[in-house]
Amino acid sequence: MTTASQMTDLEDPREPTPRPRTRRPRLVAVAALLAVLSLLAACSAGAGNSGGTGNNTGGSGQQTLTVGLGAAPANLDFTQTAGAAIPQALMYNVYEGLVKLDEHADVKPLLATSWKISDGGTKYDFTLRSGVKFSNGDPFNADVVKFSLDRVPDWKANTPTYLSAIRSVSVVSPTEVMINLKQPDNNLLFWLAGPLGAMFSPNAVDDLATTAIGTGPYLLDRYNRGESLILKRNDNYWGTEAQLATATLRYYNDANAPVNALRSGDLDVVYQTQAADQVKQFQADDQYNVQIGATTGITVMSMNNARPPFNDRRVRLAIIYGVDRDAINTTATNGYGKVLGGPVAPTDPWYVDLSKKYPYDPQKAKQLLAEAGKSKLTVDFTVPSLPYAQTIAQVVKSDLAKIGVTANLQTQEFPAVWLDKTFTQHDYDLTVINHVEARNVFNYADPSYYWSYRNKAVQKQLTDAVAAPSQQAFVAGMKTAVNGIVDDAAADWLYNAPNIVIAKKSVAGVNADDTGVSLDLTKASNPK
Amino acid sequence: MTMAFRLLRRAGIFLLTAWVASIVVFALLAILPGNVAQTMLGVQATPQAVAALEQQLGLDRPVPIRYLDWLSGMLHGDLGTSYVTGQPIAPEVFDHLQVSLILVIAAMIVAICVALPVGVYAAYRQRRWDGTLVSALSQLAVAVPGFLAGLLLVILFSVTLGWLPASGWSAPIEGIGPFLSHLLLPALSLGLIQGAILSRYVRSAVLEITREDFMRTARSKGMRPLRALVRHGLRNAMIPVLTVTGIELAALFVGAIVIETVFVVPGIGSLLIRSVQNRDLIEVQGIVMVIVVIVLVINLVVDLLYAVIDPRLRSSR
Repeated sequence: MTTASQMTDLEDPREPTPRPRTRRPRLVAVAALLAVLSLLAACSAGAGNSGGTGNNTGGSGQQTLTVGLGAAPANLDFTQTAGAAIPQALMYNVYEGLVKLDEHADVKPLLATSWKISDGGTKYDFTLRSGVKFSNGDPFNADVVKFSLDRVPDWKANTPTYLSAIRSVSVVSPTEVMINLKQPDNNLLFWLAGPLGAMFSPNAVDDLATTAIGTGPYLLDRYNRGESLILKRNDNYWGTEAQLATATLRYYNDANAPVNALRSGDLDVVYQTQAADQVKQFQADDQYNVQIGATTGITVMSMNNARPPFNDRRVRLAIIYGVDRDAINTTATNGYGKVLGGPVAPTDPWYVDLSKKYPYDPQKAKQLLAEAGKSKLTVDFTVPSLPYAQTIAQVVKSDLAKIGVTANLQTQEFPAVWLDKTFTQHDYDLTVINHVEARNVFNYADPSYYWSYRNKAVQKQLTDAVAAPSQQAFVAGMKTAVNGIVDDAAADWLYNAPNIVIAKKSVAGVNADDTGVSLDLTKASNPK
Repeated sequence: MTMAFRLLRRAGIFLLTAWVASIVVFALLAILPGNVAQTMLGVQATPQAVAALEQQLGLDRPVPIRYLDWLSGMLHGDLGTSYVTGQPIAPEVFDHLQVSLILVIAAMIVAICVALPVGVYAAYRQRRWDGTLVSALSQLAVAVPGFLAGLLLVILFSVTLGWLPASGWSAPIEGIGPFLSHLLLPALSLGLIQGAILSRYVRSAVLEITREDFMRTARSKGMRPLRALVRHGLRNAMIPVLTVTGIELAALFVGAIVIETVFVVPGIGSLLIRSVQNRDLIEVQGIVMVIVVIVLVINLVVDLLYAVIDPRLRSSR
């Protein structure tokens, strides 16, 4: 430690006003400060064109769009790698299928101009668009369709079993292809509109992890892994030319970073924003448009149906009555989500509002627990390390405490630990996750799925519905099956997550309803 | 001890530490819960698909074999092949490392530019109100977490003023303006706080040195205090500061992981976080080892630099 006497060495009270010589260190400091300031000035000068996309001239045909997104694709191969991020970027934009889902999740023609379904529902006869070429110059024809669909059973990701009804694909002519099914499958067109139906050039499948050759309106320009994916307009596209010359998708781990980037002009759109708390501010600001759409996501609190206490329907039902889904929706999504009560997203044709079937009723919950002889109950609640799941867990824990159930929260790192312990090993009592994969309801027919739900009647109802002779019968059959699942209180379906899209006023053609396949930029425009 | 022996001994310690670190890194990741194959394939994968992928990735082999395989690859500059992309890891690590190096060096420049004047001023004016104020402010800044400083800078310079981009990166070859504008905020958030930490050391080193006999001698010969400090004191005061700077440089690499995430800078920190999320363990191993080696190299260089700065260390010890 220094003492006062030592200090006099430095602080000489007799020191006169500084002379030029003693000023030198100050001059150095001032010079350093000036250097920093000039650096600042230089930087602000360069900040105008900091979007990173370049050539932002705004003239017709030169429009650009920069979109902020959440999780980045691990690579570009959705045949081998799971996750919604890869098809979100590439489907409809780079890769196309025979059909596509429009913004209402209805199946529409794409590379097929029309199709006929045989009376038994086991033969699909597609007429193909002619003159279509892949971006490497390869032609698209019936052989390509056969090649692409024949490869599906080898896929590791995106559930190739969804197309397992296909027995064979036969080439009738270059522009006509026949899909033969083992049994009727009313989901077939829906799955063909997703990543499983993507058409690949036989000459361009060796390096799908880093390249993407499709027939779509955009070309993959570059993927800076984890950071940004850049799409360029395909000038040889067979259909309506894209209005954007360049579309840049930027990936953010943080909820606030993309919103800040939008405010500072680095982004034009934030898609699927997690910063729901800032929606009001943007709504009040006339520079921006805020759209709140639906998703295919079902946030479900799963109960392990295979082991006590949740092998007892009364206990499961008690949990559903005892948890306030409205409060959870308000807390987790700022009320922008839609409260559910069954395993169906509002974008599915068999959606029925079931949110009032088991209303919040703690008294009833207590009564059910008493009937089951479980008035005092302790359960393990394994919560993935995702912000919304952590939020939900807190609300659930306090709600459950009110009905005499103690929930021991255990955070599990997502995805690795949660997938391993809870999902694969089924080592859990209670957990919560947002299932974003479309039509996840069919997993209630699979007793080995992690919620261990087993009901032979429901399994048969689901199978029958898929094979039903008509679309109406399909929808009716699905409603019956869903009712059965909800009657069993197989799980607590909390809410349908919102898709919040915040965009600059100039941006058009970005649809807020997310059908779970793609961020479809086909019609997007951004005249500055 | 001669200089050559000292060098040899240091190099030996360096290699031994790096080897032990490789065992620790590998072992820790080997016992970490979570299945790589399952994570890659997601919630819709069948157990058969998971098992097949495990075999394809070589994860069914015994742990010691996998370790030796990895170690010998590293010695040849091959960090292995990413589970997720199927691409070699080393080039990607190298790309991201360049970005981190730029960021860390820029932050260090900021830190030194802040620490030297602030520290010397706080010491020089130690008993005046302004010196106390500077000292207190630097103490306060030490307590600010880097990500908070980053967010505050973003709110001020990006959101409110709109001068600088809130996130992203632009390589120097894409133009010096965009490069600097993307570099500045992350470098400031890292550097200012590091500068505050460093200024505390500068201050105490300067105070320390003024007690030395040679300073008293200089003063007694009629030299003014500040001049004595600049002519004789600073060089000596820089020895402890240099040590701390070396340690802080290593800390900057670690701090950069957080800042890169806040600013979406494609450095080694962002790469590490992403590999962890994807359970790309082989890439995590590679990145962690690269960071370990960098930290060890920094320590080695600092150690050897003492000898250059302080001639007394050349022959003694």
